[in-house]
Amino acid sequence: MKLKRGKMLIDPPASASSDIAFILIIFFLVCAAVQPETGLAQVLPKTEEKKEQQEQSKNIEVSITPTSIVLNGSPLQLPEFTLRLNAALQKKTRDTDRVVVVKSAPNTPYPIWIRVSQVIEQAGGILTLELESKRTITVE
Amino acid sequence: MKLPRKKLTASVPAFAMGDIGFLLLIFFVILARAQDDSHIQWQPAKLADIKMAAAPLASVAIDSGFKVYLDGKEISPDELASSLSSVLGDTPAGQRNVFLKVHKEAKASHFEPVIAAISEAGGDLVHILEPEETSPTR
Repeated sequence: MKLKRGKMLIDPPASASSDIAFILIIFFLVCAAVQPETGLAQVLPKTEEKKEQQEQSKNIEVSITPTSIVLNGSPLQLPEFTLRLNAALQKKTRDTDRVVVVKSAPNTPYPIWIRVSQVIEQAGGILTLELESKRTITVE
Repeated sequence: MKLPRKKLTASVPAFAMGDIGFLLLIFFVILARAQDDSHIQWQPAKLADIKMAAAPLASVAIDSGFKVYLDGKEISPDELASSLSSVLGDTPAGQRNVFLKVHKEAKASHFEPVIAAISEAGGDLVHILEPEETSPTR
Protein backbone atom coordinates (compact mmCIF):
# COMPACT_ATOMS: atom_id res chain seq x y z
CA MET A 1 0.00 0.00 0.00
CA LYS A 2 1.33 3.37 -0.96
CA LEU A 3 1.19 6.17 1.51
CA LYS A 4 0.53 9.62 0.18
CA ARG A 5 3.25 12.04 1.09
CA GLY A 6 2.07 15.42 2.13
CA LYS A 7 3.15 18.36 -0.04
CA MET A 8 6.06 20.21 1.51
CA LEU A 9 6.59 22.99 -1.03
CA ILE A 10 8.03 26.14 0.43
CA ASP A 11 7.79 29.27 -1.70
CA PRO A 12 10.57 31.80 -1.23
CA PRO A 13 9.15 35.08 -0.02
CA ALA A 14 8.37 37.22 -3.09
CA SER A 15 9.30 40.41 -1.25
CA ALA A 16 12.96 39.27 -1.17
CA SER A 17 13.30 38.84 -4.94
CA SER A 18 14.18 42.49 -5.56
CA ASP A 19 16.86 42.31 -2.86
CA ILE A 20 18.28 39.18 -4.48
CA ALA A 21 18.37 40.97 -7.86
CA PHE A 22 20.09 43.94 -6.22
CA ILE A 23 22.80 41.76 -4.73
CA LEU A 24 23.26 39.94 -8.06
CA ILE A 25 23.72 43.23 -9.91
CA ILE A 26 26.30 44.40 -7.36
CA PHE A 27 28.13 41.09 -7.85
CA PHE A 28 28.23 41.39 -11.65
CA LEU A 29 29.21 45.06 -11.50
CA VAL A 30 32.16 44.28 -9.26
CA CYS A 31 33.16 41.39 -11.54
CA ALA A 32 33.05 43.65 -14.60
CA ALA A 33 34.98 46.45 -12.88
CA VAL A 34 37.90 44.28 -11.80
CA GLN A 35 38.31 42.50 -15.15
CA PRO A 36 41.98 43.15 -15.96
CA GLU A 37 43.19 44.24 -19.38
CA THR A 38 46.40 43.05 -20.90
CA GLY A 39 48.53 44.88 -23.38
CA LEU A 40 51.83 46.01 -24.78
CA ALA A 41 53.09 49.38 -23.56
CA GLN A 42 55.01 51.73 -25.83
CA VAL A 43 56.41 55.05 -24.67
CA LEU A 44 55.79 57.62 -27.36
CA PRO A 45 57.67 60.89 -27.40
CA LYS A 46 55.92 63.70 -29.23
CA THR A 47 55.69 63.40 -33.00
CA GLU A 48 58.39 65.27 -34.85
CA GLU A 49 59.33 65.74 -38.47
CA LYS A 50 62.56 64.08 -39.49
CA LYS A 51 65.37 66.55 -40.05
CA GLU A 52 68.44 64.62 -41.03
CA GLN A 53 67.81 62.40 -44.00
CA GLN A 54 71.41 61.13 -44.01
CA GLU A 55 71.24 59.97 -40.41
CA GLN A 56 67.98 58.15 -41.12
CA SER A 57 69.55 56.16 -43.92
CA LYS A 58 72.16 54.69 -41.50
CA ASN A 59 69.44 53.20 -39.29
CA ILE A 60 68.01 49.73 -39.62
CA GLU A 61 65.03 49.89 -41.96
CA VAL A 62 62.06 47.55 -41.76
CA SER A 63 59.24 47.49 -44.28
CA ILE A 64 56.14 45.52 -43.37
CA THR A 65 53.75 44.17 -45.97
CA PRO A 66 50.87 41.70 -45.49
CA THR A 67 53.05 38.84 -46.76
CA SER A 68 56.60 39.66 -45.73
CA ILE A 69 58.93 41.69 -43.57
CA VAL A 70 61.78 43.42 -45.37
CA LEU A 71 64.89 44.08 -43.25
CA ASN A 72 67.34 46.44 -44.95
CA GLY A 73 66.10 45.28 -48.36
CA SER A 74 65.98 41.53 -47.59
CA PRO A 75 62.50 39.97 -47.47
CA LEU A 76 62.20 37.62 -44.48
CA GLN A 77 59.66 35.69 -42.45
CA LEU A 78 59.18 36.50 -38.76
CA PRO A 79 61.50 33.84 -37.19
CA GLU A 80 64.40 34.74 -39.48
CA PHE A 81 63.68 38.44 -39.07
CA THR A 82 63.92 38.02 -35.28
CA LEU A 83 67.33 36.36 -35.54
CA ARG A 84 68.72 38.86 -38.04
CA LEU A 85 67.46 41.86 -36.09
CA ASN A 86 68.86 40.57 -32.81
CA ALA A 87 72.23 40.04 -34.50
CA ALA A 88 72.16 43.51 -36.04
CA LEU A 89 71.24 45.26 -32.78
CA GLN A 90 73.71 43.35 -30.62
CA LYS A 91 76.59 45.21 -32.22
CA LYS A 92 75.07 48.61 -31.49
CA THR A 93 75.57 50.21 -28.11
CA ARG A 94 74.47 53.82 -28.57
CA ASP A 95 70.73 54.67 -28.42
CA THR A 96 70.94 56.64 -31.66
CA ASP A 97 72.22 53.54 -33.48
CA ARG A 98 69.41 51.37 -32.14
CA VAL A 99 66.71 53.27 -33.99
CA VAL A 100 64.67 50.98 -36.23
CA VAL A 101 62.68 52.82 -38.89
CA VAL A 102 59.45 50.98 -39.67
CA LYS A 103 57.45 51.67 -42.80
CA SER A 104 54.22 49.77 -43.26
CA ALA A 105 52.24 49.17 -46.43
CA PRO A 106 48.76 50.72 -46.04
CA ASN A 107 47.14 47.28 -46.11
CA THR A 108 49.37 45.77 -43.40
CA PRO A 109 47.14 43.98 -40.86
CA TYR A 110 47.41 45.04 -37.22
CA PRO A 111 48.35 41.56 -35.87
CA ILE A 112 51.44 41.44 -38.12
CA TRP A 113 52.40 45.01 -37.28
CA ILE A 114 52.14 44.44 -33.53
CA ARG A 115 54.22 41.23 -33.74
CA VAL A 116 57.01 43.03 -35.60
CA SER A 117 56.80 45.92 -33.13
CA GLN A 118 57.16 43.48 -30.22
CA VAL A 119 60.16 41.77 -31.84
CA ILE A 120 61.91 45.14 -32.32
CA GLU A 121 61.23 46.13 -28.72
CA GLN A 122 62.42 42.78 -27.34
CA ALA A 123 65.60 43.04 -29.42
CA GLY A 124 66.30 46.39 -27.78
CA GLY A 125 65.50 48.52 -30.82
CA ILE A 126 63.88 51.95 -30.69
CA LEU A 127 60.88 51.77 -32.97
CA THR A 128 60.34 54.74 -35.23
CA LEU A 129 57.39 54.93 -37.57
CA GLU A 130 57.75 56.46 -40.96
CA LEU A 131 54.36 57.64 -42.10
CA GLU A 132 53.13 58.60 -45.52
CA SER A 133 52.66 62.18 -44.35
CA LYS A 134 56.42 62.51 -43.84
CA ARG A 135 56.05 62.46 -40.06
CA THR A 136 58.31 60.41 -37.84
CA ILE A 137 57.33 59.00 -34.48
CA THR A 138 59.86 57.51 -32.12
CA VAL A 139 58.64 54.61 -30.03
CA GLU A 140 60.94 53.53 -27.21
CA MET B 1 -14.06 74.26 22.64
CA LYS B 2 -11.00 72.84 20.96
CA LEU B 3 -11.41 69.89 18.68
CA PRO B 4 -8.46 67.51 18.68
CA ARG B 5 -6.91 67.24 15.21
CA LYS B 6 -6.33 63.77 13.97
CA LYS B 7 -2.68 63.01 13.33
CA LEU B 8 -2.09 61.98 9.71
CA THR B 9 1.08 60.05 9.28
CA ALA B 10 2.36 59.20 5.80
CA SER B 11 4.89 56.42 5.86
CA VAL B 12 6.83 55.08 2.89
CA PRO B 13 6.12 51.40 2.49
CA ALA B 14 9.28 49.62 3.55
CA PHE B 15 8.76 46.67 1.20
CA ALA B 16 9.26 48.99 -1.80
CA MET B 17 12.78 49.96 -0.74
CA GLY B 18 14.35 47.05 -2.63
CA ASP B 19 12.58 48.05 -5.84
CA ILE B 20 13.59 51.69 -5.43
CA GLY B 21 17.22 50.67 -4.90
CA PHE B 22 17.06 48.38 -7.94
CA LEU B 23 15.74 51.14 -10.22
CA LEU B 24 18.32 53.62 -8.94
CA LEU B 25 21.07 51.11 -9.64
CA ILE B 26 19.81 50.51 -13.19
CA PHE B 27 19.81 54.28 -13.72
CA PHE B 28 23.41 54.67 -12.57
CA VAL B 29 24.55 51.62 -14.54
CA ILE B 30 23.10 53.11 -17.75
CA LEU B 31 24.70 56.46 -16.92
CA ALA B 32 28.10 54.84 -16.41
CA ARG B 33 27.76 52.82 -19.62
CA ALA B 34 27.30 56.03 -21.61
CA GLN B 35 30.79 57.14 -20.57
CA ASP B 36 32.74 53.98 -21.27
CA ASP B 37 33.56 52.23 -24.52
CA SER B 38 32.12 48.80 -23.84
CA HIS B 39 29.52 49.33 -26.57
CA ILE B 40 32.23 49.45 -29.25
CA GLN B 41 32.40 46.34 -31.40
CA TRP B 42 35.98 45.19 -31.71
CA GLN B 43 38.08 42.07 -31.35
CA PRO B 44 41.61 42.29 -29.95
CA ALA B 45 44.62 40.84 -31.73
CA LYS B 46 46.45 38.04 -29.96
CA LEU B 47 50.05 38.28 -28.83
CA ALA B 48 52.31 36.28 -26.54
CA ASP B 49 54.28 37.76 -23.62
CA ILE B 50 52.00 40.66 -22.78
CA LYS B 51 51.58 42.29 -19.39
CA MET B 52 48.74 43.64 -17.29
CA ALA B 53 47.95 47.21 -18.25
CA ALA B 54 47.74 50.01 -15.68
CA ALA B 55 44.65 52.22 -15.41
CA PRO B 56 44.24 54.58 -18.37
CA LEU B 57 43.45 58.29 -18.51
CA ALA B 58 41.86 57.87 -21.93
CA SER B 59 40.84 55.07 -24.21
CA VAL B 60 41.07 55.19 -27.99
CA ALA B 61 39.40 52.46 -30.03
CA ILE B 62 39.14 51.44 -33.67
CA ASP B 63 36.05 49.30 -34.14
CA SER B 64 35.14 46.62 -36.67
CA GLY B 65 33.92 49.35 -39.03
CA PHE B 66 37.32 51.09 -38.63
CA LYS B 67 35.76 54.14 -36.96
CA VAL B 68 37.83 55.90 -34.31
CA TYR B 69 36.49 56.54 -30.80
CA LEU B 70 37.86 58.54 -27.91
CA ASP B 71 36.40 57.43 -24.56
CA GLY B 72 33.47 55.84 -26.35
CA LYS B 73 32.63 58.83 -28.56
CA GLU B 74 33.25 58.76 -32.28
CA ILE B 75 35.91 61.20 -33.43
CA SER B 76 37.82 61.88 -36.63
CA PRO B 77 41.54 60.99 -36.57
CA ASP B 78 42.35 64.63 -37.42
CA GLU B 79 40.68 65.88 -34.23
CA LEU B 80 42.04 63.11 -32.04
CA ALA B 81 45.37 64.74 -31.07
CA SER B 82 43.80 67.98 -29.82
CA SER B 83 40.96 66.22 -27.98
CA LEU B 84 43.38 63.79 -26.39
CA SER B 85 45.66 66.65 -25.30
CA SER B 86 42.79 68.27 -23.44
CA VAL B 87 41.88 64.95 -21.78
CA LEU B 88 45.47 64.30 -20.68
CA GLY B 89 45.99 67.89 -19.52
CA ASP B 90 49.11 68.47 -17.43
CA THR B 91 49.37 64.92 -16.14
CA PRO B 92 53.05 64.06 -15.65
CA ALA B 93 54.77 61.63 -18.00
CA GLY B 94 54.45 58.02 -16.91
CA GLN B 95 50.85 58.55 -15.83
CA ARG B 96 49.49 59.55 -19.24
CA ASN B 97 48.36 56.05 -20.14
CA VAL B 98 46.21 55.86 -23.25
CA PHE B 99 44.68 52.50 -24.11
CA LEU B 100 44.60 51.75 -27.83
CA LYS B 101 42.07 49.09 -28.77
CA VAL B 102 42.47 48.19 -32.41
CA HIS B 103 40.16 45.71 -34.11
CA LYS B 104 42.28 42.79 -35.33
CA GLU B 105 41.26 43.30 -38.97
CA ALA B 106 42.36 46.96 -39.06
CA LYS B 107 45.07 47.91 -41.52
CA ALA B 108 48.06 50.26 -41.15
CA SER B 109 46.13 53.00 -42.95
CA HIS B 110 43.60 52.90 -40.08
CA PHE B 111 45.80 52.59 -36.99
CA GLU B 112 48.99 54.48 -37.92
CA PRO B 113 47.33 57.94 -37.98
CA VAL B 114 45.81 57.12 -34.59
CA ILE B 115 49.22 56.15 -33.15
CA ALA B 116 50.60 59.40 -34.60
CA ALA B 117 47.83 61.38 -32.88
CA ILE B 118 48.50 59.69 -29.51
CA SER B 119 52.18 60.43 -29.97
CA GLU B 120 51.42 64.06 -30.79
CA ALA B 121 49.32 64.39 -27.64
CA GLY B 122 52.20 62.94 -25.58
CA GLY B 123 50.27 59.90 -24.43
CA ASP B 124 51.88 56.75 -23.05
CA LEU B 125 50.57 54.23 -25.54
CA VAL B 126 49.33 50.84 -24.37
CA HIS B 127 48.11 48.45 -27.06
CA ILE B 128 45.28 46.38 -25.59
CA LEU B 129 45.70 42.78 -26.73
CA GLU B 130 44.57 39.31 -25.85
CA PRO B 131 47.15 36.86 -24.49
CA GLU B 132 47.98 34.22 -27.06
CA GLU B 133 47.23 30.70 -25.87
CA THR B 134 50.31 28.55 -26.08
CA SER B 135 49.63 24.95 -27.05
CA PRO B 136 50.40 22.52 -24.20
CA THR B 137 53.58 20.52 -24.67
CA ARG B 138 53.23 16.77 -24.45
